[in-house]
Formats: sequence, structure tokens, C-alpha cells
Amino acid sequence: MTVPLITLDALQVGASATVTHVSPGDGADDGAHLSRRLMELGFVPGEKIRMLKRGMPGGEPLAIKVGNSTFALRRFEAALISIQPE
Amino acid sequence: MGAVEKALPEIPVQAKTPMVALLGNPNCGKTALFNRLTGARQKVANYAGVTIERKEGSFHSPAGHHFRVLDLPGAYSLSAHTPDEEITRDVVAGLRAGDPAPEVVVCVVNATNLRLNLRLVLEIKRLGLPMVLALNMVDVAKKRGLHIDADRLAQELGMPVVETVAVQAGGEKSLLRALDLMWPLHVTPPNPLSAIDKVSVEETQREVRRILDAVSSDANDTGNLTEKIDNVVLHPFAGPVILAVLMFLVFQAVFSWANAPMDLIKEGVDGVGGMIKGVMADGMLRSLLVEGILGGAGSVLVFLPQILILFFFILVLEDCGYLPRAAFLLDRLMGGVGLSGRAFIPLLSSFACAIPGIMAARTIQNPRDRLVTIMIAPLMTCSARLPVYALIIAAFIPEREVWGFMSLQGLVLFALYFAGIASAMAVAYFFKRTLGSKHQQPLMLELPAYHWPHLQNLALGLWERCKIFLSRVGTIILTLMILLWFLSSFPGAPEGATHPPIYYSLAGILGRGLEYVFAPIGFNWQICIALVPGLAAREVAVGALGTVYALSQSGDELAQSLTPIIASSWALPTALSLLAWYVFAPQCMSTLSVVRRETNSMRYPLLMAAYMFALAYAASFLTYRIALAFGG
Repeated sequence: MTVPLITLDALQVGASATVTHVSPGDGADDGAHLSRRLMELGFVPGEKIRMLKRGMPGGEPLAIKVGNSTFALRRFEAALISIQPE
Repeated sequence: MGAVEKALPEIPVQAKTPMVALLGNPNCGKTALFNRLTGARQKVANYAGVTIERKEGSFHSPAGHHFRVLDLPGAYSLSAHTPDEEITRDVVAGLRAGDPAPEVVVCVVNATNLRLNLRLVLEIKRLGLPMVLALNMVDVAKKRGLHIDADRLAQELGMPVVETVAVQAGGEKSLLRALDLMWPLHVTPPNPLSAIDKVSVEETQREVRRILDAVSSDANDTGNLTEKIDNVVLHPFAGPVILAVLMFLVFQAVFSWANAPMDLIKEGVDGVGGMIKGVMADGMLRSLLVEGILGGAGSVLVFLPQILILFFFILVLEDCGYLPRAAFLLDRLMGGVGLSGRAFIPLLSSFACAIPGIMAARTIQNPRDRLVTIMIAPLMTCSARLPVYALIIAAFIPEREVWGFMSLQGLVLFALYFAGIASAMAVAYFFKRTLGSKHQQPLMLELPAYHWPHLQNLALGLWERCKIFLSRVGTIILTLMILLWFLSSFPGAPEGATHPPIYYSLAGILGRGLEYVFAPIGFNWQICIALVPGLAAREVAVGALGTVYALSQSGDELAQSLTPIIASSWALPTALSLLAWYVFAPQCMSTLSVVRRETNSMRYPLLMAAYMFALAYAASFLTYRIALAFGG
């Protein structure tokens, strides 16, 4: 592992990565729910993802390709997903 | 019950017509398949206690069996995240009173996106209900060079797998045959929901990957154009420009195409009114029929063309996959005041009329976001305010050019539109601070692959909107109109009356009473009286002013003869104050009644009326006082 782990919100447009971990967000109940849903949408460890686009202004929301689908996430959601960039 | 079909005598009739539930991820073509199965034999209502659409229909299989079919809201998982998903979960698990668990679950999956879709299938399988997998959009998958071995998939999943093409005539045949093979159907009680959590999400995803490796090959996948289109449509600069141009075109269409049919409706209503006047003697009944029922319903019915044109565009943009992109582009902007990007369409619709806008807010899944969107929708300048704006602007704002190229009148109109939007944003921000939870709201918006809109779905969607709107007009709105007619007509004018009859009616008494309230913002008794029938629809106030000033014309003629009268009898501060009032104009009963229905509570329409009234009063007060101070 030469490339350090980062979270998905820091991934550059056009770059690919592999999901390594999804952590629960703040708020005991809400947060666990959120990370579970992210995994249900396909953001599970081992899955390949790619950053397609960022919104304007402020680089938010993010359009992320996972599997054959594309999802738009806000920055704080993406920050729950740890990735290994390629 | 759905449409009750005549059962053919030779068919063994089951005690109860079995229910097929269509279940799947959003964007899997589930509703298209539902439309294909049922055609127009469908009934749209709400699930009891919530405002989520319940679509039920019925169909006959080739073997002659009769089925009922339920189109469940799209879901990514049975561990529900939204009110829509809760309904889906509760129906398949048999937890909803009045909606017993279905006899068969048809899992609809998008063949081009099995990786996401199969997870839900594995989850539902754990409930132990009889299932069929409908591998939908196989035509698109084949075109892309995706190969899926349906027999192997059936083996792996342990359920029948059929290939369907919902957007093609006959594309549902294989599903019908599979259902016939399962006949006769028996009620199977589902396993408790806890069965789903016996396997973790990661484990399920591993299983999906294993199955996919076994049944499909995407070695020849040529991909699709979606990413290339998105390169332009979601481009940081080109994207917003395309969105703005599209919206401009939609607006143009709503306002220019709708003119002819709107005139036709107006003329039709007037014509029928004239006919009734011709055959009936003058009296209370005639007045009730012509002014109360016809005039009242007509004044709302006239918005039907605009609503249909608007929904035509919304449905096309939704069907082809553009709407989520618009939400993506606007999410940051609208997120700033605590709205979701999805609020954009309801708010846009509200420029035509708040009623379809509030109905369109159903597409917002987060209940809090939806509520805030509903609450600010009437602040968008609806077309019913235009006649009032037009009248006052023509009477008081001089027609001259500003900076050589802009007309002052146009500028004032623009400022009024802008004031509406700005106050909506401010109110949304306020609600965000007061109603908002401490946690940030997730977006998790799927950007589905683009595809061509489909005519049958479009037609059925429009027909549905039309029915909803007409049933509103036919029920609550009509009742309110008749009530207002009653208020404006009773009691009649006394002998030797010097004022027009409306002056002596209950509405007139109410209006004159209101003058005490409205005098500080510069409204005279004529305006106050006109505001009472204006409760029906905002533009009715123009007609009511005509009545108050005892003018007998209607339509454009009325506006023309009314202009000089108000120009000479009102002071400029009064006119400006009325304009400011109409930016907020809390008095549309139709809107309030739709809010009541959509939120299932009296609390929100009352809150809406109260806050809009307060804002309108404050804005008018300031406008009036400032104008007076400048010696206007």
C-alpha cells in the first residue's frame, strides 16, 4: 500500500479507487442507518468506484460511479467512505 | 378493487383474486411494466394515512386467470430509509392493515444494472414469498453487448426468471406465462422482517458478485452514451446553461401554448353561462349556476392547459432521466437554504399554479424537505397573480424606458417575481433553522442511464394528473366557490341602494369590516371587498373589483375600463401596497385545501395562511408607509 488511504470526498474528478471501509456517521441511530444505506447502494469494501463530476459551486455534490450505477452524494456522505485510490 | 372485470364462466374462480406485487429499485422500469400489464385499468389512490401513491390495476393472463397487481414504490432495500420504502417493506411483509401480503412478488430488475438490483432480490427472497424475477430492459442490455444467462440465473436464485421489455408491446408476455405456470396461487405468510438481517449487507453483496460472475459477462460491454451526455449536461459551466435554457423553453411553452386552450375554456364557460342566462329567468338559482358554479369552477379550470403542458415537460424530463441531473446541478444552491435539489421541480411548477407544484412535491422523499417545499410553493408568483399585477401596473406605472432598453413596467413585474423567489428562500432558511434536525440531510440521488421517453407512460401520467386536478376542482374547490358565491350574494341590496349589491352582502360586510384591519396598509373598502371573493382564486379579485365599481364588462374589456377608474381613485401608495400584498397573497383557498390533503393535517394549511398573511401585511405596511413618506 504505497498510496495512503483517503476518504471519497477528497477523490479527484476522473480518478478511480477501491472502497476499503464505510464508517457510521454522527448520531447513533441516523449514522448507522446512513452507512448501511451507502453499502446497500453498492459502496461496500472491495467495490471499484470512480469520481465522475463535482457540482458547482464548492465541488458539491459529487457524482460517483459505482458498479453500473451513478449516485450523487453530498460531501459529508462521501466522507464516510474510505478508499484506496489507484 | 381496481377495475372489476367480467370473469369468464369456464375459469375456476378463486375465492379472492390473487395480488401480484411489482417490486424493484427506482429506475428499473417497474412502472412501465405496470402500465404494460394493466393499460388504463388502474386506480391511483393514496395508501391509508400517508400521501404516497398507491397504484393498483388488474389484468388477465393468456390462460384466462385474473390477477390484481400493485405497483409498490421503488426501494433500494427493505431496511427502509424513506416513507416510500416503509410502505414497500410493510406491504410485502404483510404488516399493513388493509393491504394483505401479496400472493406473488414480481421482482423487477434492470438488466443493465444487476449489481445494484440483485441485492434487493436476495433480501426479499428471505421473506419466503413466491417470487418471479422480471429481467427488464433486456433489449438495452443486449444492444450494449451484455450477456445474461437467464436459465443459470434462475438456478442460482431458485425462482423463475423471465425476460421483459416493458416499453414494447408484448414485452410482458413471458411474465404472464410464468404467472400462469404458478397457478393456482396460495396465500403464503411471509417470514418476519428480521429474516433479512440474518445475512449482513457485505455478505449479500459478495453473493451478488458470485452470482454475477456465474451468469453474466460484460466482456463485450460497449457501454452507453450516458457518461458522454453527462460530460456536457453535468459540466460545471455548460450544465447550468443547458438547465436555464431548458427551463426558459418550458416557461415559454407553458405561457404561450396554453393561451389558445385557456381562451377556449373561458369562452366555453362564458358560452354555457350565456345559454343558461338565455333560458332561465333572472333569480337566485340562475345566479348560483352562472356566477357561483360555472364562474367559480371555470376560474380554476382555466389553469388546466397550463398544468397539463407543465406536467408534459416534467414527465418527459423525468422519463428520460434529466430531472435527477437538474437536482444535482441545483443541489448546492438550494441546499444553502436547506432545500433539496429535488425541490426545484415543485417550485418551478408553482410559477404556473401552486396546486400542481404542491402535488409534485411528492417526489421529494425526505418528509421535512417535502414539507418546507410545500410551505414555500405559494410564494412563487403563480399565473393567477398576473391579471392583478397587470391591472395595477397598467394603471400606475408609467410606460417609459429605463436605461434606454428596458420598460419600467416590465422591470416592476420582474421585481415582483424576484420578490417572491427571494422571500421563498428566506422562509425556507427560517424553516431550516426551526424545523431542521441537527444532522445534515443525505442526498443519495441515483443518476440513472438516459433513455428515450415512452409515449404510453407519458399519456397515462398526464391522464393521472388531469384526473387528480379535475377531481379537486369538482369537489372541494367547487364547494368553496359556492360558499363564496353565497357570501357575495346574500343578503341582497335594500330598496334605493346607492352602492352595488355586493356592498350589502355578507362579503361586503366582511370586506368593510376588514377595512379597519387594512386601512393602515392603505386599502380602501373597494379593495377589501374584492379580496373576499378573491379567496377563491387570486385573479377573481379583478372581476370582483369590477363588481364593486359596478362595471358590467368582463375579461379584457373589464381590465381596460377598470384601469382609468382605479388610476383616478386610488393613490399610488395604495396601488404599490396592493402589489406588495399580492407577492404573498395568502388568500388562495384552493392552495390551502390541497396543502391540507397533501399533508393530511389542518396544522400546515393554517400555519401557511398565518405566515403568508403576516408577511403580506408587513410588506404592504412598509411599502405603503415608505411610499407615503416619499410623498407618492
